[in-house]
Amino acid sequence: MAFETAQSVLLSGIVLGSLYALMATGLSLVWTTLGIFNFAHGIFMTIGAFIAWQVGTDLGWGLGPAAGIALGVAALVGVGCLSEFLLVRPFLSRSGIVMLVVITTLSATIFLENSTLLIWGARYKQMPPLIEGKVELLSTAISAHEVLMIAIAPLTLLTLWVFLKFTRIGSAIRAVSQNQESALLMGMNVPLLYSIAFGLSAGLAGFAGILLGSIRFITPGLGNEPLVKALIVAIFGGLGSLGGTIGAAYIIGLVEAISTFFIGLYWTPAILFAGMIVVLLLRPTGLFGKK
Amino acid sequence: MTDATLEVRDLTVGYGKTQVLRGVSLRLAGDTRIGLFGPNGHGKTTLLKTISGLLKPWHGEILLNGARIDGAAPRAIVDLGIIHVAQGNVLFPELTVLENLRLGAYCRRARRQLKDNLERVYLLFPRLAERRRQHSKTLSGGERQMLSIGVGLMGAPELMMLDEPTLGLAPKLKDELLEAIGEISKGGVPLVLVEQDIEFLLALTDHLYMINHGAVALDIASGDQLDHEEIMQMYFGKE
Ligand SMILES: Nc1ncnc2c1ncn2[C@@H]1O[C@H](COP(=O)(O)OP(=O)(O)OP(=O)(O)O)[C@@H](O)[C@H]1O
Ligand SMILES: [Mg+2]
Repeated sequence: MAFETAQSVLLSGIVLGSLYALMATGLSLVWTTLGIFNFAHGIFMTIGAFIAWQVGTDLGWGLGPAAGIALGVAALVGVGCLSEFLLVRPFLSRSGIVMLVVITTLSATIFLENSTLLIWGARYKQMPPLIEGKVELLSTAISAHEVLMIAIAPLTLLTLWVFLKFTRIGSAIRAVSQNQESALLMGMNVPLLYSIAFGLSAGLAGFAGILLGSIRFITPGLGNEPLVKALIVAIFGGLGSLGGTIGAAYIIGLVEAISTFFIGLYWTPAILFAGMIVVLLLRPTGLFGKK
Repeated sequence: MTDATLEVRDLTVGYGKTQVLRGVSLRLAGDTRIGLFGPNGHGKTTLLKTISGLLKPWHGEILLNGARIDGAAPRAIVDLGIIHVAQGNVLFPELTVLENLRLGAYCRRARRQLKDNLERVYLLFPRLAERRRQHSKTLSGGERQMLSIGVGLMGAPELMMLDEPTLGLAPKLKDELLEAIGEISKGGVPLVLVEQDIEFLLALTDHLYMINHGAVALDIASGDQLDHEEIMQMYFGKE
């Protein structure tokens, strides 16, 4: 294999990994904090991309990519808080909450997907790259846009980590999942913490969707396949461990890129699922999960 | 009669349809300390949970300095300064000792005194200072109890409820905790102390209530000069 080929496979693997890291971290955050799976995470990505397109591009309001990203992410934080309030909070004290929330978030997905179809139509939308031009890297030219994606995901996740690790609200979000009774006895506003975690997670989804929308066509189904990938990453990385999730995202991104190159696009999902099953058989708590 | 610091009147509560408390009344006046004891499963923890707002009373009243607080959310109760150190509390196992302590001062009232209180806790339990970077799940049983009490102190309690702080601890550790809790109480914090160890209670409290079948079965003021044996006799039902 020529050096350039290897480099481009590696590069596309890392780009994919960055996207998966952003998507799966949001999913994992909600899982750790509330103990539920949010199946609307994929449609959150889609909506983020559509809003950024609407706000940012010349076919929309033409306010530029920065405004598109800012408003897209902000809107999704709002959508996330609202979703928590409507889809999760009514069931918080029920014993069957996990299944109930699967149903409510899947229903919301169908509703929101059709809403995006009504609002933006079925025609493919395209976003221009966030920055134009090429960057010279080890004698090959790669697009500046890809470099940005590779850099921005770790930065975003680092910011999230600092928030969760060092701020009062962040620590409380980590704490509340470990012991709800203690959280209440320390005077924490548990529903508010849930809402913040959900909002953050949706914001991350929206951001990932915007990045995804800048390398793929934006359609109402944009987030479907990434949702499945994010699920695989989150499970593979050991549910609830944010570090594990991020590690798994890059591993899966690379495996996917390599397998797409050598075996083809068609078989890649099957290979990912097979890999996940093997890992779960050997390590039921995921690749990085604690026993 | 002046308002008691804490007063519980004819409280009934339960889980689902099962009633646990059947009309409990008790009083804590000034900065005194009251002790609760009684057989397992008769409602001591349930009583504390109702006072701290984790359970909504079915009937009856809870008053703090004369004002009704029954039915208020746990958050509101913490804001008023009632801190409940739960029985066998594991706190936040994946967080460090220091993170747990800091979260103890979560409410606004306590946040302002975070630094001072942290110093106080470390002074009271130097072992927590040594282990502040350790995940709390790796603490020994005794250290975990110290942390539970320490987290409670971080909440700047104006009234502290401790639920079986010496459960399962060796005598030497019990003595250590006895001293620490005595220290807290000397600092002017009224205590509600639940314990099975009568001697522990006699050493730390002025007024004992025995909770039996969800009601106060015995009410022993310190003036009554009961000694350990007499109480044990009542405890085991030789009326
Ligand atoms: N969450 C709950 N759901 C249903 N029943 C409960 C619950 N918690 C406690 N109970 C029941 O309520 C009764 C009183 O329990 P409680 O914990 O108040 O007893 P206790 O006096 O604190 O006992 P111990 O000395 O063992 O701590 C018990 O019969 C217990 O089984
Ligand atoms: Mg108890």
